[in-house]
Amino acid sequence: MKKTSRILSLALALLLALTLTAATALAAQAESTILTLTDMLGRELSFTKPVERIVVLQPADAEILYAIGAGDLLVGRGEYANYPAQVLELPSVQSGFETNFEQIVALEPDVVVMTMMSQREEDSKKLEDAGIMTVISNAQSIQGVYEAIALMGKLTGKTEEAAALVDSMRASFDEIRQKAQGKTGGSIYFEVSPLAYGLWTAGTATFMDEIAGMLGLTNAFHDLEGWQSVSEEQVISRDPDYIVTTAMYFGEGLKPVEEVLARPNWSGLKAVKNQNVFNSDSDEITRPGPRLVNAAQALYEFVYGK
Amino acid sequence: MWRGAGLLALVMLTGLVCVALGSVPIPLDKTASILWDGVLGRDLTGNTQAVIILTVRLPRVISVFLVGAALSLCGAAMQGLLRNPLADGATLGVSSGASLGAMLAILMGIQLPMLPLAGTAVLSVIFAFLSLLLVLFLAFALDRSLATNTIILIGVILTMFMGSLMSLLISFSGPRLRSLTFWTLGSLSGAGYAEALFLLLALAVCGLVLLAHARELDAFAMGEENARAIGVSVRRVKLTVMAAVSVLIGVCVSIGGSIGFVGLVIPHISRLIMGPAHKRLLITSLLLGGVFLMLCDLAARTLLSPVELPLGVVTSLIGAVFFMFILANTRRRAA
Repeated sequence: MKKTSRILSLALALLLALTLTAATALAAQAESTILTLTDMLGRELSFTKPVERIVVLQPADAEILYAIGAGDLLVGRGEYANYPAQVLELPSVQSGFETNFEQIVALEPDVVVMTMMSQREEDSKKLEDAGIMTVISNAQSIQGVYEAIALMGKLTGKTEEAAALVDSMRASFDEIRQKAQGKTGGSIYFEVSPLAYGLWTAGTATFMDEIAGMLGLTNAFHDLEGWQSVSEEQVISRDPDYIVTTAMYFGEGLKPVEEVLARPNWSGLKAVKNQNVFNSDSDEITRPGPRLVNAAQALYEFVYGK
Repeated sequence: MWRGAGLLALVMLTGLVCVALGSVPIPLDKTASILWDGVLGRDLTGNTQAVIILTVRLPRVISVFLVGAALSLCGAAMQGLLRNPLADGATLGVSSGASLGAMLAILMGIQLPMLPLAGTAVLSVIFAFLSLLLVLFLAFALDRSLATNTIILIGVILTMFMGSLMSLLISFSGPRLRSLTFWTLGSLSGAGYAEALFLLLALAVCGLVLLAHARELDAFAMGEENARAIGVSVRRVKLTVMAAVSVLIGVCVSIGGSIGFVGLVIPHISRLIMGPAHKRLLITSLLLGGVFLMLCDLAARTLLSPVELPLGVVTSLIGAVFFMFILANTRRRAA
């Protein structure tokens, strides 16, 4: 009898202690939640302390963070982030399929900004298990880029700067769209991989396709989605008015534009005959970041002149 | 004799079918008249269909034929030389060696002004030869007999080793990552007459060298000791055959990337048709290899048109199934 009561009272005390700690923990959490946001995967995130150390894995997100003046919060970058130049001074971590979690954890970030384009969902779980918050951006279109910018603004307390950046991008795109209105369009073929390595092009759901539409041009491979390997004879039979190659020049052999113009059996194509071949900056035109404006402007000038 | 004529007819017929069919539909009579005009050397500038037939499809089909012929010829020669039914550029690590060389060339930007791919080809050939030497050296160092199983095992190990070296190269490639990635997915889609000519030269020289050693290969089939006993200079023959095989595989890999199963499967089929005598076997493997790869490439460029599949994927899919079929059949017959 005595024994049971002792056990009972002990259990009661334990229960009381548990509820008390839970309650205080809950209260503490409610008290110090200073920021909540929804990332582009639709996850509700609440932050209990200010975000002061960020590791950014995707190059475009790094560009956005610098563009809204939050570059000083960065403590690490994904290995492919290379713009603006300051980003190269940050320690680089291996990202993508071989993401190096040890490297990331060692940088002691509050938040890792990543994207679903090159990271898997397991990656974010792994980081969260290590006590690091993750914010996921996932821009597939220019509208998506605006959302990513707003998200970064909210995360870093730079909402005004973010809004200003979105406004300026929107204004630039509107201006390009207006200038292109009523101009004779034509078809444009984007070459992502040159002939020597097998042709790859960009179909719908790419920034190249979206920019082509903005300029009043039709993507020659509008019937495909995403990046695709295509037959050379298809390019020849579609005979585009403009050819844009995103190949990079490393200082040896022919330059990308010259290489396209020099293909003997392409000499009959309209774009080649009229020398309408352009080498677009691959980073500008493929990254979901603020420099899409530069890519669109460069393409506008190439098609319609200054 | 009749079988020889039949094979040649098969090559021609397959070639014509592959030129007539493609991702852009062109009527048969149109194709025929374009080909005829092309033969007569008539001016066809401005005719898009003629451009497609004569400058895209024809050189590609020819290149594909030559690559298939070369790989399959190499497989037959290696299988004879090593008396090993599983020997092939891919199983011995020669193809991955060649791929490694090609990747290094792309990474270091080695290009010759005339043929952009020649720099890649030179390194491919060198690395193919080195990896073949390495396989044989290691096998010899291990058990001094060049036993079949040892060679295959070392080939497998070396292939994995080269594979990891390639992954290492890719992770250090920086801005050239894209070129490398697209190259590894590569196909013969960009092959023009320059590539075809390059392949033809390599195949003509190395093919003749291999054919000239057909009788020695027959002697090898009875064992190296017996071959030596009837006066075959074993070491010289081995080195010559290996050099020819390395050059061929290196050139093929540098132009078309690594294409599996052709060199393994086709010699077996050829042996079923023509028997084991090497002169016939080598020629049959060469022709059938070309036919097989032309058909695979036709599938690669038409199945999902306008999208293209990587050629290596198609050959491996068809080849693996085919190989299982042959294996099951021979087992059943033996039982």
